[in-house]
Amino acid sequence: MLGYLVLSGITTGALYALVALGVVIVFKATGTVNFAHGDLFMIGGFLAFTFHVLMGLPYLVALALAVAAGFGIGILTDRIAFRPLMRANLVSLVLATVGFSFILKGIARSVWGGKADLFAFPPLISPDPIFLGPLIIIPQQLVAIGGAALVMGAFAAFFRLTRIGKMMQATADNPKAATLVGIRTDRVYMYAFGVGAAVAASAAVLMAPLTLLYPDIGFVLFIKGFAAAVLGGLSSLPGAVVGGLVVGVVEALAGGYINSSFLEVSAFVVIMVVLVLRPTGLFGATAVRRV
Amino acid sequence: MLAVAHLNVWYGVTEILRDVSFDVPDGRIVALLGGNGSGKTTILNTLTGLVKPRAGSVLLAGEECAGLRADQIVRKGMVQVPQGREVFQSMSVVENLEMGAATRRDRAELRAGIEDMMGLFPTLARKSRQRAGSLSGGEQQMLAIARALMARPRCLLMDEPSAGLSPVVVDTMIDAILALHRRGLTILLVEQNVGVAAAAADSAHVLQNGEIAFSGPAASLLDNPEVLRSYLGR
Repeated sequence: MLGYLVLSGITTGALYALVALGVVIVFKATGTVNFAHGDLFMIGGFLAFTFHVLMGLPYLVALALAVAAGFGIGILTDRIAFRPLMRANLVSLVLATVGFSFILKGIARSVWGGKADLFAFPPLISPDPIFLGPLIIIPQQLVAIGGAALVMGAFAAFFRLTRIGKMMQATADNPKAATLVGIRTDRVYMYAFGVGAAVAASAAVLMAPLTLLYPDIGFVLFIKGFAAAVLGGLSSLPGAVVGGLVVGVVEALAGGYINSSFLEVSAFVVIMVVLVLRPTGLFGATAVRRV
Repeated sequence: MLAVAHLNVWYGVTEILRDVSFDVPDGRIVALLGGNGSGKTTILNTLTGLVKPRAGSVLLAGEECAGLRADQIVRKGMVQVPQGREVFQSMSVVENLEMGAATRRDRAELRAGIEDMMGLFPTLARKSRQRAGSLSGGEQQMLAIARALMARPRCLLMDEPSAGLSPVVVDTMIDAILALHRRGLTILLVEQNVGVAAAAADSAHVLQNGEIAFSGPAASLLDNPEVLRSYLGR
């Protein structure tokens, strides 16, 4: 029982971590929480559903297309909900992303809604569980964990090795200095939204075969990913990964051992405890920035 | 090299710079002095494209820069060394230098530039893999200068390079500025410290309330009691 719960916790946790990474990258670059992030996840999932299930394209092709489309829609988020309001106050910016999330949800409902309440995404590999001693493993779980690890690795490499990744890091570190060396910070913000959404889309494609898709799935996932990001310190990429895994495992254990209704609230209990004991999150900066 | 003419800058309904004109001749160091609120920072922000002027021109080697974006001005060869050690704290010394060349694409040129900076600032060479945030104040200032040089500027704008540094480090900083001068760089040195300006610059302009109130050879600043008293509060 414990082994199964931990494994399923790690599986969902790895996917929460991907959602959290997207929240963190946008927050680090722009100082804004993108409340449309969950709906970018949802759109990514439905696009993959369209490419794979409705159009019959292979899973990997559908994944690549969904990630590319996610990147494009992320850039659209920047153009529609962020750039025109860049100099406005934070509340306006956050409200704009909330508004954009409703637009995305509306589009999903009109395009994919009405046909069914829930959409099933066929598993990539055999759905038969593997019995490993007392442990029951659903193969798609391994695909999700492996896929999430690959995406995280690619993400880390992108930040450490690529020019645009380093420019994003520089802009997050000191936007004024970044402008003065000739980095176009407006473009960096745009790429941050794009990359964040692309990672969310990849999480959706990995998660869809394990769960079901529905137009309102975005908000639930956003809350979990946001919780993971806050737990990790909101501006720490490793923190987002650890936060995601903690939220996933705690949720699975609480659902399994206490009551399944605790599944939804357990994550928030953990966050409240962490924020009371350590307000900057697990990996947040402890030192006050010198001025 | 740099010719600023009749610059007018407004923030909302407030006029910050009024008809400011000055030249920085090729290969010279010109100091711009003034107390807090005199308009020094606004001039720098206008020259680097962070602030758009309402009127006036900024010619760099005959090319108009007023109203261009910050990255376009860097590409034209005018780069600012910001005040207050604004390096990328979380990135290594080498990564900071790479970011200094953000507007350049040639990788061989980038490597050559980094090696050149390591030769010019041996302290940075010894700490090339260290995080910039862990360097001392003087080292961070050196890194900020080296990072600006990575863009291969023709004209360097230095914003109070001596601010917050101990007297010994200030002397090292003056030596570094003079070394850049010997390389043929044109430098606009914005300072509050009259001593630094007098030691490094050829000529100086004193700003007061957004206007140029005094212009003359830098060496004469320390001998001019009126400048010291009225404009610099000494």
